[in-house]
Formats: sequence, structure tokens, C-alpha cells
Amino acid sequence: MTASLSTSGKDQTIRLTDVRKSYGDYDVLKGIDAAVSRGEVVVICGPSGSGKSTLIRTVNRLEEINSGSIFFEGQDIHAPMSGRELNRLRSRIGFVFQSFNLFPHLSAVDNIAMSPIRVKGIAPAQAHEKALKLLERVGLREKADSYPAQLSGGQQQRVAIARALAMEPPVMLFDEPTSALDPEMVGEVLNVMKSLAAEGMTMMCVTHEMGFARDVADRIWFIDGGQIIETATPDEFFKSPKHPRAQRFLADLRH
Amino acid sequence: MKGFDLADILANPEYVAMLVHGIEMTFVIAISSWLLAMSLALLLLAIRFAPGRIGNSVVAAYVSYHRNVPTLVQLMLWYFGIYTILPSGLSDWLSAHSAEMIFAIIGLGLCQAAYFSEDLRSGLRSVNPGQMEAARALGHGYVSAMRFVLIPQGVRNALPALVNHSVSLFKNSSLAIVIGAPELSHAIKEIENLSFRTFEIYLIGTLLYLFFSLMIMTAGAYVTWRADPANGARR
Amino acid sequence: MIHDLIAIIDEYWLLLLIGQYPNGPLGGLANTLILSALSIAIAFPFAILLAFARLSTYRTLRWPVTILVYVTRGVPLLMLVLWSYFLVPLLTGADVPSFFTMLATLVVYQGAFLSEIIRAGILALGQGQMDAARALGHSYFGAMRYVILPQALYNMIPSMLSTFVATIKDTTLGYVINVPDLTFAASQVNNQLLTQPFQVFLILALTYYLICWSLTSLTNVIERRITRRRAGLAPKRRGQLAISLTPNATEQP
Repeated sequence: MTASLSTSGKDQTIRLTDVRKSYGDYDVLKGIDAAVSRGEVVVICGPSGSGKSTLIRTVNRLEEINSGSIFFEGQDIHAPMSGRELNRLRSRIGFVFQSFNLFPHLSAVDNIAMSPIRVKGIAPAQAHEKALKLLERVGLREKADSYPAQLSGGQQQRVAIARALAMEPPVMLFDEPTSALDPEMVGEVLNVMKSLAAEGMTMMCVTHEMGFARDVADRIWFIDGGQIIETATPDEFFKSPKHPRAQRFLADLRH
Repeated sequence: MKGFDLADILANPEYVAMLVHGIEMTFVIAISSWLLAMSLALLLLAIRFAPGRIGNSVVAAYVSYHRNVPTLVQLMLWYFGIYTILPSGLSDWLSAHSAEMIFAIIGLGLCQAAYFSEDLRSGLRSVNPGQMEAARALGHGYVSAMRFVLIPQGVRNALPALVNHSVSLFKNSSLAIVIGAPELSHAIKEIENLSFRTFEIYLIGTLLYLFFSLMIMTAGAYVTWRADPANGARR
Repeated sequence: MIHDLIAIIDEYWLLLLIGQYPNGPLGGLANTLILSALSIAIAFPFAILLAFARLSTYRTLRWPVTILVYVTRGVPLLMLVLWSYFLVPLLTGADVPSFFTMLATLVVYQGAFLSEIIRAGILALGQGQMDAARALGHSYFGAMRYVILPQALYNMIPSMLSTFVATIKDTTLGYVINVPDLTFAASQVNNQLLTQPFQVFLILALTYYLICWSLTSLTNVIERRITRRRAGLAPKRRGQLAISLTPNATEQP
């Protein structure tokens, strides 16, 4: 059941128990048991089609699950609940998409400020000020009035991170945040993520960037075929992976 | 046939008055039916998105009828058909209040509403699905996401089609001639009958229609340009 | 009500179908369909020529055609019908039946619209196709004939079909110059009956509806098949809508 959990119950911000999901006949997630503690950075990696994107999308219920439970701050996010309650929970989980999904009809600063104003009811002036500070934080203060179409991919993704941070979530989820970026822009996004980790943000990150994993992750979940095959610290994982499939995955990465 | 002589028409105050009246009536029809069509289109869209399957089917049937029956025939059905089976109180009132204009507006408005609602629907559908996800991930409810993220983009996407159909609406005002509405084409035919200067009056009429169509197209292009966020539109 | 409709159809179906024939020219629904089909058949090659002219590098070709297209799009079809009714007998010096006047009008009108669709279809293929063909040694027209047009026209079959439907609707304008089509036949029925105008025009509306709706459904089926063939039978990805290859041809009236 709860095999390889290395933390106590109280500190677990996110706890997945026997999570299963299938699309029709096809089983994508075949019983995931795992937990993330406060302040922990977890990197999820695995081959294509392993279910890692689906997994992270179930955590804020962008995908439904067939059975099992996912507890966030003590509440099962997949239990039947009112729309309003789900929205409230979602606003406490930051999510960064592979394709950024910035709102093209809003400037950068408006992209960031709009949801605190409309969802949390924060005063516009205050939200605006906070938005500018967040832009500063991701290094894009001067682009406040630019529109997404005028920004590079790396800049757009940094704005997207700021947008998620504006809701002041205790947890940030990243779904392959750099996979759609040209190589020279990957670094600027990873740096923002590293600084977030250094500040103690609880993070779950699906990524292929093994350098990032090595530098910043507290634990790595290796997923294949819808199950977590191995969890380990970066040291353990990269030096001596136990499971043969994990070994093969790392070997493929190095080719 | 007398030689080409525009002055014969343009210098004649009676003809000019007829033309001006025709233009006025054309604009009354065009603007009134546009307003009717746009409001109805929004209503149709709201009904379509209402929970349950009935709303969708009803609107789909409405759109199907108005897109497959020729507009001219729709107007005929209204004026030669429905007008004649209305209760006498209502039809008497209509006769006293230029029934031709009213039915022209109703017929054209209801027809265009179908096209406008489809344009808006296409515009909404062409918004990247990731936008809804991003909005929901930030905690927006469905209505909030629609209001602040989806609909602004959907309307922007729909603008070119809406402008095109608005020009069509304007041109369709000429169809009201078959139900006797005193719009521009009607005026043109009358002047033709009176002056026998067919070529000249047709030329004037063509230029007038062209001018107004281009005006509407230009206004539409401007609105579309302004709506593009890269061109400095404020939200 | 239904009983009235059936009675009228029962009594007048032949008139509505073929007009006064054989005691007069062919009319009714048959004439409507023949007029539409003939217009499209002639408008189509005409539209290809217009499209080439608009894409041409020679200004003397491009400008007059561009003006023609803009005028046709900016002026109501009614106005064009009136012009034709005035000009055609003048130019041919003969007493031309309204059928041919209407035919000429529709050819020009639909030709202009079609040429825009063809032009868009050719441009949508991108410069790459032309470059590849020229690199292989084709002449401009050779490239057009063997590479560009086959692709563009195949992609445009749904647009052509929907233009055919639009033409059927446009033929109703012939009413103002007494073309013996379905609408004219219906008004003749109404003039004979006098007491049931609503029923007569309802039948008229429903007849057009049935024809246009069937053709539109057929168009949708064909478009789906073409889209699937062109996309190489690629499976739809989650959340993605199949992209229409054809520019929208929502015609009026």
C-alpha cells in the first residue's frame, strides 16, 4: 500500500493513494502511491507514454481519476464537491503548462493580475503592484505592457510562472515546462524554478531536464507503464538506479 | 435613346429626393435588422450553451432553416404568408405602420441572427482549448473563465466573419423590393420608370451601394484592427 | 393545415416541378436546378481564369479583375440582375429570354466569389509547392496544371458544393425579372388559389429547405472524407478539432 513514503503523515502536502486512471480500455495510471512533503521538490521522469503528464494533471483535477484518492492539504481533491470548492482548491495549486497558455488578449502584467482580481477579489491596484513585483522576480519587469505575441517562448513561460505565483499557492506543479522551448531559452526558465525551490516552495515537476533534477530535486519518481517504478534521491538515482528499466532510461538519455 | 446625361437625374430635385428617401429607408432597414440580428444571435448562443440537449437542437434547427431557405423566400413567407394569417387587430396595426418595412426588418434580422450566431460560435470554438485549462487551473469557475478569457478571444476571432455578414445584411436590404419596401432599389426602379434614363440611374445606384458597402467594410476592418491586442487595444 | 399543404401539392406538383412546359418554357424546380448547375459549370472555369489574373504579375490583368471582384462583392445581386436585364438584350441585339440573362448574371457573380475561393486555396498551399515544381523544371503553367491546381481544387470541392447550394438560393432573384423558376411557379400557384398564400409560400420555403439541406449534408460528408484523406488518417489528439481545409463560403442571400 504505502510502500516507499519517507515522510510522516502531517507534513504531507500532497498524498496520492492507489490512484488509477484509464481511457476506455487503456490503463494509464495503474495504482500510484506517493506523497510530497512541504518544501519538497519532486521530479517526475520516465519514457514517453509512461503517464507522467497525466499523473501531474490529476493532482489539480484537470484529469479525473477512476479510483484512489489524492489528498491536498487534508482534502481529497477528487471527492465530489461543489464547483466553488474545487475552484478554491485549484487556486491554491499553481500549474505551469508545457504550452504556456498565456492569455493572448491581455498584456503580461494583466495576465498576472487578472486572476487575483477576478477569482480572489483582490483590489486591482494591489494586484497590479504585486504583478509588477512578480515580473521583477522572473526578470521581466520591462515587459509588463507587452503582449504574449511579442514575447519569446522563454519569456512567455516565465510570465506563466509569475501568473501562477500571483495566486500565492503553497504548491507549484510543472508539466514539462521547458519541452516546448528552444534550447537557448531553457536555462532562463530553469533558473526561475531553481530560485523558487531555494525559497522552499513545494514543487512537483515533470521534466526531461536531468541537470535540473540533479541540482534541485529532493526526490525523483521514475514512472513507466503507469506505475512509479523507483523513487530515490538524485544521488542514488543517477549513480546507481536499482530497477533495470530505470537503468535503461538513464542509459538512453546519455546515449 | 438620348445621350448619356447624368445631370438629368442629379439636377432634378424630385429624383434626388426619391434617392435620398430610398437611402434613408435602406439604412433604417439595415441598422434595425442588424441590431435585431445581433441581440438575437447572443440569445441563440446562450440557449445553445444552456445545460441539456434541447437548447442545442432548437438553435441548430433555427440556424438550419435560415441558412437553407433563400432569404428572398423567407421575406415572401413573412409578408405574403404570415402577414395574411395574423389576427386582424395586429395586421391592421401593421398596415397602418408600414408593414413592408417592419417585415423587411423582421425577416432580414431573423435570417442574419442565424449567421451571426454561427460566426460567434465558430469564433469561440477556435479559441485554443489550453486557454480554458489555464483559466480553470488558476481557479476560475466556468462562467468566470468564459467571461474574462474565452469570450473576449472568441469575439475577436469572429470579427472578420461578422463584418462580412454585416455587409451582406446591408446588401440584402435590396431584397425588400419584392415586398414593396421603399428602399434604395425601389427608388432606383421608380426613377428609371419616370426618367427612362436606365443606364444613368443604375450607375448612380451601383456607385451608392458600392460606396456604402466599402464604408462598412472599412469600418469593420478598423474595428478588427483595433481589437487585435498587438495594436494597443485596452482590455 | 397539413391537409391544406398536401392538397396544394397534390394539385399543383407538376406546375411547381416543371412550370408551364410543354405549354411554355421549362420552369419550376427543374429550371431552378438546371440554371444553378449550368451557372456553376460555366462560372468554374471562368473563376479559374479570374484567379490567375488576380495572382498574375501583370498589372493590366490584375487591376481590372480586382475591380470586377470588388464591385461584384460590394453591390447587391439585385442590382447586378437589373444591370444584366438592361445590358444583355442591348449587347446581343436580340430578345433574350430571362433565363439566359439570369445565367449570365450568376456566372459573373458566382465566378467572382469562386475566384476568391480558388485564389485563397492556391495561396494556402504555400510558395513551397511552386518552388519545388519550378526546381524540377516545370514552367509556371505546368506547375499550376500538375501540382498546384490538382491540390487546390481537390481541397476546394466542399467549397464548390456549398457554392452550388448558394447558387440555388441566388436563382430566386430571378423573380424580379420573371425567370420561370420554382419561386415564379409558386407565385403563379398563389395567384390561382388566392386564398392560401401562407400555405403556398410555406411549401415553397420547405422545398428549398429540403433541397439545400440535403446538398449541404452531402457536402459535409464529402468534406469529412477529404479532410481525413488529406490529414493522412492522423488520429485526433485530445482537445484538438479537425481543421477545415476550405475557406468558409457562407454565401448570401
